[in-house]
Amino acid sequence: MAEITNIAIAGVGGQGILLASDVVAGAALCAGHDVKKNEIHGMAQRGGSVISEVRFGAKVHSPVVPDGQVDILLALELLEGLRNAHRLRQSGLVIADDLRIRPAVRPPGAPAYPEDVSDRLRVSAARVIIIPATDLAKQAGNVRAANTVLVGALSQHLPFAVEAWREALRACLRPALVEVNLRAFQLGLEAALRQAQGRPHRS
Amino acid sequence: MSETTTVGTRALLSGDEAIARGAFEAGVRVATAYPGTPSTEILETLAPCPEVYTEWAPNEKVALEVAIGASLAGARAICSMKHVGLNVASDPLMTASYTGVRGGLVIVSADDPGMFSSQNEQDNRHYARFAKIPMLEPADSQEAKDFVIRAFEISEQFDTPVMVRITTRIAHSKSLVTLGERVEHEPAGFQRDPAKTTMVPGNARRRHQLVEERTKALVAWAETCDLNRVERGDKRIGVITSGVPYQYAREARPRASALKLGLTNPLPAKLIKRFARSVERLYVVEELDPYLEGQIRAVGVKLARAPSSPRCGELSPADVARLLGARRASVAAPAADLPPRPPALCPGCGHRALLTVLKKLKVFVSGDIGCYTLGVQPPLQTMDTCICMGASIGVALGVEKATGRSDNMVAVIGDSTFIHSGITPLVDVVYNQGTTTVIILDNETTAMTGHQAHPATGKTASGEPTHTLRMDDLARAIGVRHVHVVDPYDVRESERLVRDALGRSEPTVIIARRRCVLLDRGRPRVPRQINPEECRGCGICLGHGCPAIVDRTPPGRKRKRVEIIAQLCAGCGVCALLCPSQAIKEAPANG
Repeated sequence: MAEITNIAIAGVGGQGILLASDVVAGAALCAGHDVKKNEIHGMAQRGGSVISEVRFGAKVHSPVVPDGQVDILLALELLEGLRNAHRLRQSGLVIADDLRIRPAVRPPGAPAYPEDVSDRLRVSAARVIIIPATDLAKQAGNVRAANTVLVGALSQHLPFAVEAWREALRACLRPALVEVNLRAFQLGLEAALRQAQGRPHRS
Repeated sequence: MSETTTVGTRALLSGDEAIARGAFEAGVRVATAYPGTPSTEILETLAPCPEVYTEWAPNEKVALEVAIGASLAGARAICSMKHVGLNVASDPLMTASYTGVRGGLVIVSADDPGMFSSQNEQDNRHYARFAKIPMLEPADSQEAKDFVIRAFEISEQFDTPVMVRITTRIAHSKSLVTLGERVEHEPAGFQRDPAKTTMVPGNARRRHQLVEERTKALVAWAETCDLNRVERGDKRIGVITSGVPYQYAREARPRASALKLGLTNPLPAKLIKRFARSVERLYVVEELDPYLEGQIRAVGVKLARAPSSPRCGELSPADVARLLGARRASVAAPAADLPPRPPALCPGCGHRALLTVLKKLKVFVSGDIGCYTLGVQPPLQTMDTCICMGASIGVALGVEKATGRSDNMVAVIGDSTFIHSGITPLVDVVYNQGTTTVIILDNETTAMTGHQAHPATGKTASGEPTHTLRMDDLARAIGVRHVHVVDPYDVRESERLVRDALGRSEPTVIIARRRCVLLDRGRPRVPRQINPEECRGCGICLGHGCPAIVDRTPPGRKRKRVEIIAQLCAGCGVCALLCPSQAIKEAPANG
């Protein structure tokens, strides 16, 4: 199934996971691919784990990515990245925001938030890129655009023209939010570029 | 109609959006629904269309009755609901099968295998057989649109309601759809024809015979219907499947022969037998109950030995690969020691404030369906029953009648749920001299499904102003003499009212009214903070489970160290009222 590319986007309800997956799906569509995406969002605004998946290629059947076949995992939060890292292919890539959000509810006996979450994430996949997406979003003008920063970083690892991404952003966002998100996208793209050149972002 | 991304006439649509688009193109005039995951977006997508009358009905039964009326007046009508909604609407469904239709009538059932957002995972395919109506099962968004258009045609051709059955993975997955134009269908108007539309026994007996004749005609038609298709491939393996499991089977066994069923009631027995003869090993791939398998075995078709299909939960691509003996990618084990992240009531949620009072009073809580059901989780743990929409009140009355006491249990129900099916059990409480305490958690919206309007919001599905149902007046009209409205943020007054109600030998209705915080995001807020000098470290503030209040106690230390995260704090002030040391204060501006 190598002719299909599988992207998983994980995070916490309210972080804009579904918007990010709409943008990725839209860009794949603009680039001429068959596209399917799935999402589980009944509780998306209540602070629970949320995941959405985008698949594209010549012909996509299942909207669900089989375990072990995720090519790129976009993690809007470190723990949610770690939770889904086992679903990656052996050659898989993680792109994560350097952000920790503690679960709102800690049932009795549940483990604490792993303090070494970023170290564990770094060894969980063949390639791991952690960028300060939330800080970059603030820099772009809206802290809530961290999802778009990560999408910008993702764009460096997918073969779509920048115009396909911009078109998808414009289609998925309210007009008032387009400018700030285009800036966030650009900052994410540059951060990924620096990582690829071995010059990680310093914040 | 809104689309996510459109290229020419192709759009990336969810199954729900595609169903709405299909209904729109089919010239639907009336669309009705009650919100329920994963079906809600069908009506939400149609609501802005001026060509279509859309309504949020008080419940699914009413929604279907309105759609039946529209159909009998000659208009095309669609009624959508989640799987358990069809239980509520099953009464009109069973007899609408007898009356048949004038304008096409399509009923969408959105099932939830895996219970992502439901109290059970019943397989609603049984309803189509039970009601003796045709059922269509799309396998992606394009089919969802196309099948809805076909469903209207079949409905009118065979004089029957038609069910379109989807699951969460169809409803909430997006795939490409080619868009078409709307074709208008002018309603002919209502005509008097009691033999068809007035189901007294004499008429219904004749209509039942027509239903049986209709079923025979549908069975014959199913054999050649193009909604079912044979995909010729490797003769050694054949798969009979429908819906999203078809996609998993195609991916697991791309070269296998497949009989892909789009019409799953009635089944084409001859086609199935022919397909079975054309392959060496035959498998059935389906989710939840052995609905296809049982009927296929019943016509004498032998299936290959296969690992048993999981009857519980959602079918996964890996399950299907295993059933079909396909090679699977090696999969790493998930990290085992990670903290779970269940959804939680939002900071500032009025439900939490009220549930905190119930926790303090140590009463049993007969619960219902809504955000407040999250109160079952620690640390609140104040939800002792949850059965179905509206059950809280009847269950509490039953406990009272069985035990002779009602001073240790309250019924808790949301505003939309109360209107859905809490009114009749409240009538029962008064009529049968119960003394139940009913707390309506009124957040002025249908929050759980994404903030839909309901009759007490004063807004219609399309956002027009309308009459606002007053639930306090309604409770008084039912005969409840003690009706109170309280702001749940005022935990002291709430506690007083609940205590009084529990001690009273008459029914009480307390409406705890606080608008959903997600609707008031722009409201100015004053976050709270803890003064460490006044804090005695008792941890009471942690006991109500607010996501903004975080335990920072170092390991081994008994006295709690607690922090309020200013960015998350909604400024409701409930924690400050709960604090026995008055250590929680308003944070200074720009602090």
